[in-house]
Amino acid sequence: MNRSDVQKRLNSIFCDIFDDESIKISDSTSAADIEDWDSLEHINLIAAVEEEFGMKFRMKEVSGMKNVGEMLDIICERGSK
Amino acid sequence: MVFSRLFFIYIFLPVCLGAYFLARGTKMKNNVLLLFSLAFYAWGEPVYVLLMLLSAVINYTAGRLIGRYGDSRKSRITAGLAVFTDIALLGVFKYSGFIVENINHIPSVELPVPDIRLPIGISFYTFQTISYVIDCLWETVTPQKSFRKFLLYVSLFPQLVAGPIVRYSTIEKEIDERTSSITDISYGLNRVVLGLAKKVIIADQLGIVADSLLGGIENATAAAAWTGAAVYAMQIYFDFSGYSDIAIGLGRVFGFHFDENFRHPFMCRDITEFWQRWHISLGTFFRDYLLYVPIFGKRRKYGGLFLVWLCTGIWHGASWNFVIWGLYYGLFIFIETLIGKKRMKKIPLVIRHIYSKAVIIAGFGIFYFEDLDKLGTFFTKLFSTGRLIGLQDRILLVNNVYLLILAVILTFPIIDGIRRISQRSAPVRTAAAVSLPAVSAALLLLTSILLVDQTSHPFLYFRF
Repeated sequence: MNRSDVQKRLNSIFCDIFDDESIKISDSTSAADIEDWDSLEHINLIAAVEEEFGMKFRMKEVSGMKNVGEMLDIICERGSK
Repeated sequence: MVFSRLFFIYIFLPVCLGAYFLARGTKMKNNVLLLFSLAFYAWGEPVYVLLMLLSAVINYTAGRLIGRYGDSRKSRITAGLAVFTDIALLGVFKYSGFIVENINHIPSVELPVPDIRLPIGISFYTFQTISYVIDCLWETVTPQKSFRKFLLYVSLFPQLVAGPIVRYSTIEKEIDERTSSITDISYGLNRVVLGLAKKVIIADQLGIVADSLLGGIENATAAAAWTGAAVYAMQIYFDFSGYSDIAIGLGRVFGFHFDENFRHPFMCRDITEFWQRWHISLGTFFRDYLLYVPIFGKRRKYGGLFLVWLCTGIWHGASWNFVIWGLYYGLFIFIETLIGKKRMKKIPLVIRHIYSKAVIIAGFGIFYFEDLDKLGTFFTKLFSTGRLIGLQDRILLVNNVYLLILAVILTFPIIDGIRRISQRSAPVRTAAAVSLPAVSAALLLLTSILLVDQTSHPFLYFRF
């Protein structure tokens, strides 16, 4: 999968989940940068990403991802759509 | 052994510090710490120290096996078995009486209720070993090869009996190599004195006030019930955060950097924020290892939320009031999630403060009353009308007014503020550096005087 396409699609998921059209994600974006991104919203985000890209995160990844870059790497590796 | 004992402060700790700083090299220092940690635990638990050793052996072995098997099915089975054993041991030693009592409620069932005394600190060290095994499986830490070092992580006496729940990753490097500078030692010892003072001068005295206000709940007025629960909330805060101060301070003296466990929780603006500031090491444990457990399918957000708060409640004790207490917080966090952060922010700050403090204070009532009938009485009293407050309660509050004012002030970040101001200019910095040891010495003296005169007051979180 093309990383920049994935990033674009992921960006619109972020805007949708956090209800904020001004969000611009980059590899280094983390929960600290987006105010609403707490542990519960994280679950919604994960569910939306899994549906969009037709994949499943492992629990280790859900709990351990430190930034958007790591999430993009996993999607590019395992995403199916 | 308990920190707030003259024996610990004036004999155990000085001897331990002397031996530690005479020892050369991290390896010898580790040996000294391990010896003193085991002695510290065996002092209070001469038999259950074996249980802790067993737990350490099991989890150490699991870590080694996971390291050997790598990322494979065998590793996942090993980790699963280890975590299962940890929870089973905790279940037997902490919950078997409670479980059997509840089974006995079924008609015509009458099982003998096992009378097992709770091993001190088991809830804390079990969570540490669980986090270690999962971290090994997730490859966030390298399994420890030396059993002695692993046992030191499990048994390290500053945090062994009442937290914080230290992650292995926090001390992974420091267990191999660490130094304590003069600044570390001075910061650590001052923090220990501060923690002792919070416990002995404030928490224990607040406890007397809280017990007399809540003790006769049947005859209490609404004001007495609210005040009693508020005083109890502060008691728990100073008791537990005082313990954390001592643990973090002692850790620092020995060159370990533990994470903070409290960040002025009563400053919170909502319940979600309260739990980001209160007993942080427990909250992050559940967030990292339980919240995302994939068992709820499409309902995983609220399923996870519910599970975390059920477990938070149960973790605190084998009693229904703790289960209710956990779910009570879960309910308010659920409601706050439904409202959403953006809309919550639009509510005037003063209302959010009143709301969150009221929920927290009533919540500590649930924490206080293990007897559910009395808990019911407490809640009816909270909303009862009639006379404001009885004469005896009024005298009690007037007699303790300075203590109560001091306690309320200290729930704000006053000490951090003083520290910040004292860094501003050179003369102030010098004055602060000179007066700090004097203040600490005075606090230690006052603490010691109270301890000489005191009957036993163990830390409340030893129960969990």
